[in-house]
Amino acid sequence: MRLFVALANTLRLYLTCIRNTLEAAMCLQNFPCQEVERHNKPEVELKTSPELLLNPVLICRNEAEKCLIETSINSIRISMKVKQADELENILAKKFLRFLSMRAEAFQVLRRKPVQGYDISFLITNYHCEDMHKHKLIDFIVQFMEDIDKEISELKLSVNTRGRLVATEFLKQFI
Amino acid sequence: MAFFSSGSRALVEILTGLQSVERPMPVDHTLFEFGSIRYHLQASITDSENIYLSISTPSLSYEASPSSGLPEITLQETRKMYHKFAEIIEPAKEGYTLTLRLNFSGLTRPKDRTKAINQISLLQSVILSSQLKDMLASLGSSGTMKLVYNQRDPFFVSKTPVKISAIFPMRFRDDTDLAIASSFFQELQDLGSTSSFSRAPRCSWSPIPPPELRGEYVHHLTTNGGFVSFDILARYVKGRRAARTAWILLNFQSYVKYHIKCTRSYIQSRMRKRLEIMTEVIDDAKFRGNDESRKKLQVRKRSKRRSIKFARAKKLQKGFKAVIDKIKRLRLRIRVKGLDRFRRHCQCFPVLKLTMAQRKEQKYQKLE
Repeated sequence: MRLFVALANTLRLYLTCIRNTLEAAMCLQNFPCQEVERHNKPEVELKTSPELLLNPVLICRNEAEKCLIETSINSIRISMKVKQADELENILAKKFLRFLSMRAEAFQVLRRKPVQGYDISFLITNYHCEDMHKHKLIDFIVQFMEDIDKEISELKLSVNTRGRLVATEFLKQFI
Repeated sequence: MAFFSSGSRALVEILTGLQSVERPMPVDHTLFEFGSIRYHLQASITDSENIYLSISTPSLSYEASPSSGLPEITLQETRKMYHKFAEIIEPAKEGYTLTLRLNFSGLTRPKDRTKAINQISLLQSVILSSQLKDMLASLGSSGTMKLVYNQRDPFFVSKTPVKISAIFPMRFRDDTDLAIASSFFQELQDLGSTSSFSRAPRCSWSPIPPPELRGEYVHHLTTNGGFVSFDILARYVKGRRAARTAWILLNFQSYVKYHIKCTRSYIQSRMRKRLEIMTEVIDDAKFRGNDESRKKLQVRKRSKRRSIKFARAKKLQKGFKAVIDKIKRLRLRIRVKGLDRFRRHCQCFPVLKLTMAQRKEQKYQKLE
């Protein structure tokens, strides 16, 4: 019981830290490209001008779970690494995150390909901030992280439960 | 898992239908089950009491029984089981391994007929179990044999004086299948060792081949899912239980694959549901994302305020129209009522009428 409480607390702290960092980092403005005329690209992706980039922030819960927040003048990139304790969790996480990445258009801020070393990435530009409520966007990111963890744990549990039930039915045939 | 019941449901349906009809009718059906088992049912109006049932099953092991016909022990078992209402016709129909002539006229009670039909539906499992028995007998006191029930997944049967081991090398096409199957095997192994399943055969799962398979070809022992083995003691193959045990073991690989397929579809449906929940959150974050729901809420909660707002909007709309009209009027030539008549009478506002030549002369000059 104590372990669960401690785990819940660490998760809460981790998510609060991400929320606070995002609140501080998400002050984006429209900024055209300095190199190419009539171009307006997310600076965090192109990284053409170092003066437009802020220092990236890496928030780690443990070795397996971390979140990288890269900020620039007109865009912010959030990359996450989801916990994968064993082989089954690894497979389920991969499967689920791939499933979500394939449907990135439904989320608008989800990147189709994650940043190297991470499982999933978001790219928020100043246009997204103009179209959406900033605090709700941050809520979405934090809830997304919570949901991913929850879904993978639940999936693992249900796969094992199904396995147990099917094994019981199989062995029952002999009795 | 009705799919793995040893009785053929199609056979039961056809035979029951034939028994229940008032007038005799001709029947000629060919059925396929489990990919490789073929049935043929034939009945004619002239010989309505007799139904001819033919079956074709692949041999479990070409090494042990290279001939296409059934071993004598199988024929004996079939005769013994169906002697009340069926007899074997020799030679069997072309392309089939066994042909039976069914005659249910001797069974007067409908209950007996139903029982007989159910027994007939088990024909395939009877043949397979007797084939298996024959092969094990030919093996002597100890030895290992490779059996092929599903073309892609051969398995091994090892015999010792104490027990028979059925060893299944498990191969899976991808990591997801492997992960689901590993979870299942782990549960199977754990459950098999509990007291509630002490009467079931002991199951073990190991990534390396068991010692019974020593000396087999390497390509037979190359797997990604390890080896699952069941220890079959004498009590599991006593009397009628033999057919059932053989059937369960022969279908073990199909059972695992079916479980994997179902679990995959379950995962997919869960992921879809979760996607819907997640997209709702991002839709809610948009400024005009959920206009309809917002409107509904506003209508419910602030209907009075809403009506006031509407009235204001209408007033504004009217005001806006008035301003536009005014602008239009300003841009038009100013008209004063009766001015034209006054001008004609008094000639006080003479308007010069210029000819084209005069107009050309009076060109305005461009300022520099």
